[in-house]
Amino acid sequence: MTGVRRNSCDVAVIGAGMAGMAAALFAVERGLSCIQIGSGGGILFASGLLDLLAVHPVAERCLWQSPYTALDALAGEQPDHPLARVAPVSIRAAFESFVTALASAGLAYAPLGERNRSVLTSIGTVKTTYGVPVTMVAGADALDGRARCLLVDFRGLREFSAHQIAATLADRWPELRHQRIDFPGFETVPELYAVHLARALETVETRERTIALIRPLVGDARAVGLPAVLGLERSREVHAAFEAGLGVPVFEIPTMPTSVPGLRLLGALEAAVSSHGVRRRHQASVRALTYDGNMETATLDLEGVPGGERVTARAVVLATGRFSGRGLAADRGYVRESILGLPVHQPASREAWHKRDFLDPSGHAINRAGLRVDDAWRPLDTDGKPAWPRLFAVGSILAHQDWMRSKCGSGLAIATAWAAVEQVAHRLGATAAG
Amino acid sequence: MSPTLFQISLYASLALCALGLLWRVSTWFRIRIGPDARVVTASQRVAALFRGAAAALFTLRVFHVLGTLFLDVLLQRRLYLNDKLRWLGHLLIFVGFMALLLMHALAPVVTVKLFHGYESTRDPYLFLRNLFGAMMVIGLALFLFGLWRRRTVFAPVRRPTAAAFMGLLGFVLVTGFLLEADKIASPRAFYRMAKQFNGTSDPAELKPLRAVWAREFGVAFDDLKEPIAPEVMEKGREMHEDDCATCHAKPTSAFVSYPVARMLAPLVGLLDAGGADVWLLYLHVFACFLGLATLPFTRFHHAVAAPVGLLVNGAAPNREFSAAGRASRRALAMDACVHCGICDTHCSVAPLARYLGNPYLLPSHKLIAAGELAGGRLPRSGEEDERRRIAEGAFLCTDCGRCTDVCPVGLDLEDLWQAGCDDLSAAGLPAPAQWVQARPTLAWAESMEAQPWQQDAGHDARYAPLSADRRSFSRCVQCQTCTNVCPVVAHSMDPAYGVDLTPQKVMNLLRLGLRDLTLGSRMVWNCATCYQCQENCPEGIRVADIMVELRALAVRRLGAVRSWRAPS
Repeated sequence: MTGVRRNSCDVAVIGAGMAGMAAALFAVERGLSCIQIGSGGGILFASGLLDLLAVHPVAERCLWQSPYTALDALAGEQPDHPLARVAPVSIRAAFESFVTALASAGLAYAPLGERNRSVLTSIGTVKTTYGVPVTMVAGADALDGRARCLLVDFRGLREFSAHQIAATLADRWPELRHQRIDFPGFETVPELYAVHLARALETVETRERTIALIRPLVGDARAVGLPAVLGLERSREVHAAFEAGLGVPVFEIPTMPTSVPGLRLLGALEAAVSSHGVRRRHQASVRALTYDGNMETATLDLEGVPGGERVTARAVVLATGRFSGRGLAADRGYVRESILGLPVHQPASREAWHKRDFLDPSGHAINRAGLRVDDAWRPLDTDGKPAWPRLFAVGSILAHQDWMRSKCGSGLAIATAWAAVEQVAHRLGATAAG
Repeated sequence: MSPTLFQISLYASLALCALGLLWRVSTWFRIRIGPDARVVTASQRVAALFRGAAAALFTLRVFHVLGTLFLDVLLQRRLYLNDKLRWLGHLLIFVGFMALLLMHALAPVVTVKLFHGYESTRDPYLFLRNLFGAMMVIGLALFLFGLWRRRTVFAPVRRPTAAAFMGLLGFVLVTGFLLEADKIASPRAFYRMAKQFNGTSDPAELKPLRAVWAREFGVAFDDLKEPIAPEVMEKGREMHEDDCATCHAKPTSAFVSYPVARMLAPLVGLLDAGGADVWLLYLHVFACFLGLATLPFTRFHHAVAAPVGLLVNGAAPNREFSAAGRASRRALAMDACVHCGICDTHCSVAPLARYLGNPYLLPSHKLIAAGELAGGRLPRSGEEDERRRIAEGAFLCTDCGRCTDVCPVGLDLEDLWQAGCDDLSAAGLPAPAQWVQARPTLAWAESMEAQPWQQDAGHDARYAPLSADRRSFSRCVQCQTCTNVCPVVAHSMDPAYGVDLTPQKVMNLLRLGLRDLTLGSRMVWNCATCYQCQENCPEGIRVADIMVELRALAVRRLGAVRSWRAPS
């Protein structure tokens, strides 16, 4: 192994999605040195909204106004659910810490309270969520009060139609008007892309021309909604300029993934973990993971790093996600964990993976497959004991949850990362003290 | 050898060499490569040289130039950094050659003046001559070994002048060693010397000396078979000390020629009868004169041009050159390049050259074409295909600059390529991007449909590994991130000239098995290869790499159907 770079750290986080990012952040905040391995590309699919828990039970599609009340209910009925195993006080602390880090990286969220918020989507449905970026929160307020409101879209931006939103909501929100304008400077372009508009709006001239085009349309509207294109890195500045220029609250509506808010979230998380001192290996993946004889450290051989790298870690957090994140891999009959081949809790046979009806409201058994963990968030081996005393698993790879249907993806990632890192710190601290 | 003949030949060779050099150097101010070279006159270029030389020599830059002289010219640092074996071979030839030139060829004007009592048959000169000769032999052997080792699909350019030069060098070495060996072994040479220095050539009278020279100096007498008495040897040694020792070391110092002489011993009677010592001398000397006379026109010329090129390099970076300076520098590159082919081995598009079967993608081949283009010798329209291949080679270059980085002679090849591309465009040979984009994507699709692809099965897998392998793009979920971050799409303000497909649509066509449809698209051809798409792809698809590959495929595929027109 000559020529291979060698590095060591307290905790190696494998994965750079929401859970991996959260785990890395929380680890360094607790004073642990951290190396993070993996690409954050999956975050591009996020909307920028941070769900905690909105739907329970899934089969009844029951929406909850307070995520914490929902968590109580969940704990009573599904004690195996990972979110039910994290104390609410920890969840509150985890979210506070997470949004504080994002704010320091330029992505501000509205203050988190006890209740979920309802926000518009780009197809006119209403989504129940928890953490809302400040650029979007006026929309939740307007929707709550069914205030007079103007939605504006841009000719050529095919993924966003103000008309469609207004039409879909016409019964429930009659005061919703819509207008279409040409995006300044892109008048002759047949097809627009949100990121290009977001970049264009970071220049003062384009921003002012856009505001000037919208201003005469505002009329008696109490708020103005736009597709989420108000800047990339400087979204706060662009948003503030629109509010000042139009004289009413302005809000963004997330567009289809991959969207500008997804890019912002990825950028902010990357900036946050880097500035916290996490050593990122964002193009690397783990080729092999082995434990030393004393079970004190693990060795991770990385690929995708020029010349290769060997990382020695005192603890490992597995945040590799499910199928699209490649933490789990399935062949025609069986689901495996990709790196260590850990046993995956899954339906007994291939026939039991899915219900007959694709849109069955209770979801499919395969969606609840995943790693089972002990009380310290350590994945279990076939004998029901932790695979390694210092291997932890967080996020969507965990079993007994269906985050898409429960609308709890961010909450699952952030809360379990917090709880697992607490255990990591406790165990490594105890060793250090001993 | 007749002194007159020697003198006449020497001066004739020198004159030819000087005239040839004058002519070659004049091309440095005459050859015009690049549009900017066409607007400056030869006299402006000469003036620029003098200005540049003055600026380099009478300022602090002189130290930089001296550094270049020492490190790059004498020690050949750039070659050392690239290929240590070649460097060793080259240095052996270079040092051996210079040493033999000064110590041996120019002995009357150099060694004799500097070293009192110089005799070519005394040590250390006898030994050194063999050493330097052996160095050159080893150097040449390493050179040949290198040639053998580097056999590739496209051999580096080999010009007859290079082979002639190497052949001549080898010939001079061989005749030199043979001549020395013959003189050691030859009784005839012994008698001639004995007559001169002992006053007699009577074999009987010289018997003791002959005995010593047969036993200890390798002379192959055929009449000294019987054992020699010790007192005869003693007498012989006295005679040797009196008349010979001042000029002759034992020939064993000639560690190459002496073993050769021992091998020649059985033939020496024949050689003496045939006057070998005379004709070997003629061959040796006239081969040297031939080398001298033809120096400006063989590879030997690089010994002049390459150091000049390196020193010009050391004098100032290219961006500080005026148009006149750049023009001369490009012309000088034509002479300084020895077609060593190191650039070819580092060329980013070398795999493409193999795929397209077009050596003009490779720097050392391209340089020849650039020179021919400048000299107006570009194949005319009758050889349309050859012209097209030259243009294709020039325009598929990615300007990565590796050739410039590795050139042992320090040529600014990037500048040369840019100028060459401008010349090609001016000569009506547009870049592939131009002829591809002259026709809409759909027109290309029609042409391809009319003339289906006929290729051998292994091609795709070998040369288009990404676009031919579903695994490289099947993970695409059409999320549009590549399109979102693409600056080319963002700046395609005018739909008439903008991109027709977005990157994600190109990926989708690949997924649908419609690769041909992408080949003529503006997206593929306008791609700036900034790699934003590839860096941002959540699925880790090598979008930009695929674009580059599609362009290479397009040159071949669309080139094949280029002449097809829809029947009207």
